[in-house]
Amino acid sequence: MTPPLVAPGIRRTSSRIVLVHTVTFKQARQLVPILIPIVAGFGFGGGLTTIALMAVGITVLSLAAAALSWWRFSYADGPSSVVITRGLLSRSVRTVPNDRIRGVEVEAPLLHRLFGLVRVRVDAAAGAAGEDEEVVVDGVSRAEGDRLRVAVLTHRGTPADEPSPEPVEEELSRWDNRWLLYAPLVGSYLALPAAALGALSRVLDDVPGDPVGDLFDVELPAAAWAVAAGVVGGALLLLVAGSVIGAAIVNWGFRLTRRGSSLVAVRGLFTRRHTELEIDRVRGVSVSEGLGMRLVGAGRATALVTGLADAARRGQLLPLGPRDEAWSLASLLVADPGPLRAHPAAARRRRIIRALVTGLAVTAGGLVLGARTGHWELAIAGAVVTVLGVLLARSLYAALGHAAGPRSFSVRRGWLVREQIVLERRAVIGWQVRQSWFQRRAGLATVTACVGAGSGGYAAVDMAAAETPSFTAAASGSWARALDPANQR
Amino acid sequence: MTTVPAPAVREPAWELPRSAIGLWTVESAISTVILWLGAGAFLLFVPASAGGPVPVLRWVLPIAAALHTVVAVGIRPWVKHRVYRWEITAEAAYTRTGWLTQTWTLVPISRIQTVDVTRGVLQQMFGLATVAVLTASSQGTVRIWHLEHGMAQRVADDLARRAELVRDQAT
Repeated sequence: MTPPLVAPGIRRTSSRIVLVHTVTFKQARQLVPILIPIVAGFGFGGGLTTIALMAVGITVLSLAAAALSWWRFSYADGPSSVVITRGLLSRSVRTVPNDRIRGVEVEAPLLHRLFGLVRVRVDAAAGAAGEDEEVVVDGVSRAEGDRLRVAVLTHRGTPADEPSPEPVEEELSRWDNRWLLYAPLVGSYLALPAAALGALSRVLDDVPGDPVGDLFDVELPAAAWAVAAGVVGGALLLLVAGSVIGAAIVNWGFRLTRRGSSLVAVRGLFTRRHTELEIDRVRGVSVSEGLGMRLVGAGRATALVTGLADAARRGQLLPLGPRDEAWSLASLLVADPGPLRAHPAAARRRRIIRALVTGLAVTAGGLVLGARTGHWELAIAGAVVTVLGVLLARSLYAALGHAAGPRSFSVRRGWLVREQIVLERRAVIGWQVRQSWFQRRAGLATVTACVGAGSGGYAAVDMAAAETPSFTAAASGSWARALDPANQR
Repeated sequence: MTTVPAPAVREPAWELPRSAIGLWTVESAISTVILWLGAGAFLLFVPASAGGPVPVLRWVLPIAAALHTVVAVGIRPWVKHRVYRWEITAEAAYTRTGWLTQTWTLVPISRIQTVDVTRGVLQQMFGLATVAVLTASSQGTVRIWHLEHGMAQRVADDLARRAELVRDQAT
């Protein structure tokens, strides 16, 4: 179904969206702060009738608000810009020139899918733009959503009226359900059921009495231990199952394809997301492996794209999968710069000294405390911290590395989440070299490549100071030779 | 102790005007006055009998404030004047800043997005201005602190004009 034309080129969203918004109270939600004092004024005195009346009233209100905002909303995708008109009393007309559009995302939340609708997000972020910069056309049919996406993207690239050939589609990666087994080892997926448990425990708090406490009070000690073990085991099982389910909901049916000059990613069980990235804007790739993921050789890959809002989510090339898969995707986009070079021994010394200083300070404090009060726990903790700290320092050092190849370069760091960044030479829009007093004495430097994508800068931490000029010259254009001491005038 | 190795990268060619020392001294003096006001308030209003670390703090605080005064007013402005350097080469803007921790920043002119000149209240008293060279990266900003105002304006105009000529994609 193509939406009715209000005027030439001007379109309306589907009227079915009114139902979706009525159910979700999308517009009526804004009225809640006004309603609360009114309700408080009248009180809940009337019993069931009042509550029923209020429910009906709120639904009618929500329906009216949704209908009004649908009635006043229209959009038009012209050959040079997208125009959105909306607003009840104060009309707002937003015009987004096509050449400022960075990407189009089509998403279908569960309720939208029931009504056969999708939501189209047009990303026109300009550098430091806020949420408002995004243009959302909420509630068009699936076919119209696809038409709008293609229309906006093709108007932008090629001149109008040129018959563009049907772009070739090539599948780069496809979700494998076995990858869900990695989920319990990934911090962010584990956090999903933990958050749910947190919400549940707040509900339990409201239950009269103390159900958890009651469990432990009455039983014999042995039985209590069994119950405790059961509870802990059950919680762990829930956590594992929850993380797998959470990962499945977000990533189900993930598929990454190349269509012409764009990368298209589709994923999600309930809300299907359809994200499109221009390959020409990709400046690099980040492959990250958390502590647990490293145990099983899992990884995730994210594209670093210039001028992309919410890049961490939209740039995902592989949300969760085998490390080799992540790297093969990465090498499709950016040339491999070759094996990483380890950083000098002084970098390891720095980390070990840091660990020793904190660990020994705690131990010394613990010894003083122990001598005065006879409590030696802090001293023991200090000793443990020292040993663990030194081990951690060694792993932190092992994670460090950098490499510069003919067309790209790479830096790696991190222990809890080890992240390796591969960037194209052209990505670098500046260098920052940093040396603290200690680094100067140790002959080390932290070299940051400033890029207009991702987090804005990626650092090779504690590399040999003497290697800085050759690394920066190899990893970017000829302008970086200005850093070389040999060019001192 | 080992000798300090040569710095990692080349030092930019040009130094800041001497009046920057005066500006840094005044800035330090202002922060020192605030620090002493805080320390004075502590000595006045917190009774020595308050237990805990207070008796020790009554000694440590004035000593720390005095040390800070000597370093911030007497030493830091001169060290900073030796560290802060800048240079505009044929292809790039280049600075060194900091004092204990030093930072070199290099941005090619072809990637410059905007050039700003700002004059703070104190800077105006000393006839100085800061040139900020911004790029598409949040971390790739070069700030040339405390140039003479006329010079800052000329540098900014020159950079903006050259950026216009050689600009490629800039991202």
